[in-house]
Amino acid sequence: MQKLLTWIDDRFPLSKVWNEHLAQYYAPKNFNFWYYFGSLALLVLVNQIVTGIFLTMNYKPDAALAFGSVQYIMYDVSWGWLIRYMHSVGASLFFAIIYLHMFRGLLYGSHRQPRELIWIFGTLIFVALMAEAFMGYLLPWGNMSYWGAQVIISLFTAIPVIGNGLAQWVRGDFVVSDATLNRFFAFHVIALPLVLVALVFVHLVALHKVGSNNPDGVEIKKKKDAKGIPLDGIPFHPYYTVKDIVGVTVFLMVFSAIIFFAPSFGGKFLEHDNFIPANILSTPLDIVPLWYFTPFYSMLRASTTDFTHGMLAVATVLVAGLAFFTKRGFLAKLMSVVIAAVLIVGMFTLQAKLWGVIMMGSSIVLIFFLPWLDRSPVKSIRYRGSLYKSALTIFVVSFILLGYLGTKSPDAVSLVLFKNVTWAQAFTLVYLAFFVLMPWYTKIDKTKPVPERVTFK
Amino acid sequence: MSEDGVDRGKRRFLTALTVGVGTVGVVFAATPFVLSMNPSARARAAGAPVDIDISKLELGQMLVVAWRGKPVYIVNRTQAMLDRLSKNTPLLVDPFSKVKSQQPPYADNLYRARKPEILVVLGVCTHLGCAPSKAFTVGAASGLGADWPGGFFCHCHGSKYDMSGRVFKNVPAPLNLDIPPYMYLTDTLIRIGSDKKKGAA
Amino acid sequence: MKKIVLSLLLALLPVVSHADEGPKLDHVKIDLSDKASLQRGARIFVNYCLSCHSASYLRYDRMGHDLGISDELVKQDLLFAGNKVGDRMQAVMPVADGKKWFGVAPPDLTLEARYRGTDWIYTYLRSFYRDPKSFSGWNNTVFPHVAMPFVLYEWQGEQHAVFRTKTIVSHEMKNGKPVTQVSTEQVFDHFVLAKPGTMTPKQYDQAIRDLTNFMAYMSEPTKLERIRIGVYVLIFLAVFLVVAILLKKEYWKDIH
Repeated sequence: MQKLLTWIDDRFPLSKVWNEHLAQYYAPKNFNFWYYFGSLALLVLVNQIVTGIFLTMNYKPDAALAFGSVQYIMYDVSWGWLIRYMHSVGASLFFAIIYLHMFRGLLYGSHRQPRELIWIFGTLIFVALMAEAFMGYLLPWGNMSYWGAQVIISLFTAIPVIGNGLAQWVRGDFVVSDATLNRFFAFHVIALPLVLVALVFVHLVALHKVGSNNPDGVEIKKKKDAKGIPLDGIPFHPYYTVKDIVGVTVFLMVFSAIIFFAPSFGGKFLEHDNFIPANILSTPLDIVPLWYFTPFYSMLRASTTDFTHGMLAVATVLVAGLAFFTKRGFLAKLMSVVIAAVLIVGMFTLQAKLWGVIMMGSSIVLIFFLPWLDRSPVKSIRYRGSLYKSALTIFVVSFILLGYLGTKSPDAVSLVLFKNVTWAQAFTLVYLAFFVLMPWYTKIDKTKPVPERVTFK
Repeated sequence: MSEDGVDRGKRRFLTALTVGVGTVGVVFAATPFVLSMNPSARARAAGAPVDIDISKLELGQMLVVAWRGKPVYIVNRTQAMLDRLSKNTPLLVDPFSKVKSQQPPYADNLYRARKPEILVVLGVCTHLGCAPSKAFTVGAASGLGADWPGGFFCHCHGSKYDMSGRVFKNVPAPLNLDIPPYMYLTDTLIRIGSDKKKGAA
Repeated sequence: MKKIVLSLLLALLPVVSHADEGPKLDHVKIDLSDKASLQRGARIFVNYCLSCHSASYLRYDRMGHDLGISDELVKQDLLFAGNKVGDRMQAVMPVADGKKWFGVAPPDLTLEARYRGTDWIYTYLRSFYRDPKSFSGWNNTVFPHVAMPFVLYEWQGEQHAVFRTKTIVSHEMKNGKPVTQVSTEQVFDHFVLAKPGTMTPKQYDQAIRDLTNFMAYMSEPTKLERIRIGVYVLIFLAVFLVVAILLKKEYWKDIH
């Protein structure tokens, strides 16, 4: 055995990789509940790839055959129903895990220096995952698949001048059609999975370069013993492998419970309107994306003309104010004035539809800038003041409520007093304010002293 | 981190237990994926037994039907064809149908058939799966030599079979042609793919 | 931290579903283990629905196997001439004819129970009423102006719908002044059985329940199997969880 290992090590860095990334990769010993979601995300990625391969064996990317081939998997292929449920439930849980994983970052400052690149790669994974899920959702060619794709691709038409041409280019036709289905299939089964796997790889490479953060936000590499091992670090293997096995098992129990007892999850994971084939003559009564897109969908729908004009007016004043008060040089002032001018011109020339798309786009783009928006001297929420704690709470509540409102008609009253669209506008403001005001409230927030070593038990 | 008082035996036992139970779980989880690659209900339905009416099959003629996507030859053999069968014995690899996989027990005879005159045989060469063509003409006129006793000839690699689908010596094919399971529903109605009274194949 | 989680939970509280608009649906109890009911439902489906509607993702032998009907009986009682037991359940009538006769092609019904829900099917099939203005002579309170004629008319008999007038008062702002608008609307109230059919209302409800039950089975034939397997999977994972926790505890003794 030892001989074989030596033989391999002379030709391939097996022991080296094993040690560097598992047996001698030192992770902080104080990981808590929130630190399970990274490995769980990896597990679900593998689940999606494996079940996806087996679905591809029987699926037909053809507008005339797609719906039938999915039912063929459900009815005729041995165990096909299980494989498909694993894939569809897996997709929903993937997003649940990713959202919790990102929330962990906000809690403990995992995006802060020196982990900015990990955060950026992670956000890119999130964007790629959204594209992957969106294209995959068209493949069953149900009525909701069809109209969902139709609506979202139509967003491109909001772009002035090139919009219509761009939407047609994406679809490969004047409407969503066989050509669209075929190319989405190509993106869904090979192009985006390759991108995702590559991004996950660099996400982990960057993580292992700087080391993991922890619930105290303390850099364990600053306190090392004589051998150069962090005092608060423990080898990932065996300590975190055995711990992750526990987390994985609990997750698998949740996963299996949904697959076997509620695979449609009351129409949330598999929508009722997707049990009839795409019908170009009949739009479902409520076009609602799957739950993981609804927060962003809500922001898109919130962009009425009045709302966007109000928003832009506020933004213009803010930028102009910044130009007036900033201590920076002439160039910064000039930039601010130019931006303000562009916003004012845009407000009067561009339609609300485009501003909705811009708003939805910025809600995602802002995530990338988080490492630089956060000016707090501490990382972890444990040592932050009440300002950040309240901001984060309000932000998460708004995000969840945006998601809820995204599933409802904009004109109905699902919460209290006001129409859904009004609430959605309010929560959109909160969402944007969380990011835009972050440099201010994190800077003036009262923080507690951070301990030298991590707290454990 | 200290390793004082570690019960190594217990640790080894628990590790082995986790690996063991985990492996069982992985095997269970992998099973549906492996089984999903078996023929689906659609393939099985397409492979269901087929019923063939042979009342119009004239003497010395051959009918080709598809079963499970493979050609099945049904030949109404003449008395002359049947008479020549026993003379082929020294030229054949397996004249007495000793290889059990090549025919059901009821075709384990000189005619390799339930009824001597009606041959039901799978038209799939046992060499590499081509469909042999009929070469019922005897002698030089067949183009297969003056001593050709009539039978089947595979163009792909030149394998030869006699009128019972038995393979000749010195050809690439190793085995006699397959006889599929079949039964007579009536005198002129043959069911291919099933030889049991119950319909299930 | 705990406070955040707690407040998140509180925030989720108002997220309670609101009743959707649409006709009031009667609840039907679905029991996929009631084979007798499923078999009766299958007979109704094959005899009355399958002439126009396909159930083309399901195969006869699969249905027979799941419902405890032998292949021979399937062939005798349920199969159309010329079909094999392994065939998919295709409608007798070609789709193009359906489009010609009814204006719309009768939809495939395999997945109807997952698309509309079982309560919808159960209520719909009991909500046909005579409407001389309609093309087929029938209308439906659940699916107004439905193209389908009432096939089970002989069983249920002829229903008449009784409507009542509902006054709707709405307040709106017009040119800055509050305006109250009063309008009336015809709302369905109840049915009257004008001409009894061959079945009593109770028998008819039972027959429709059987049919709905069968359509629920049809929309997901693996449902019972999936739940059965799920129990074993969860038991296995629970056992594994115990082992995994013991292993984790053993190793984490090292960490102080």
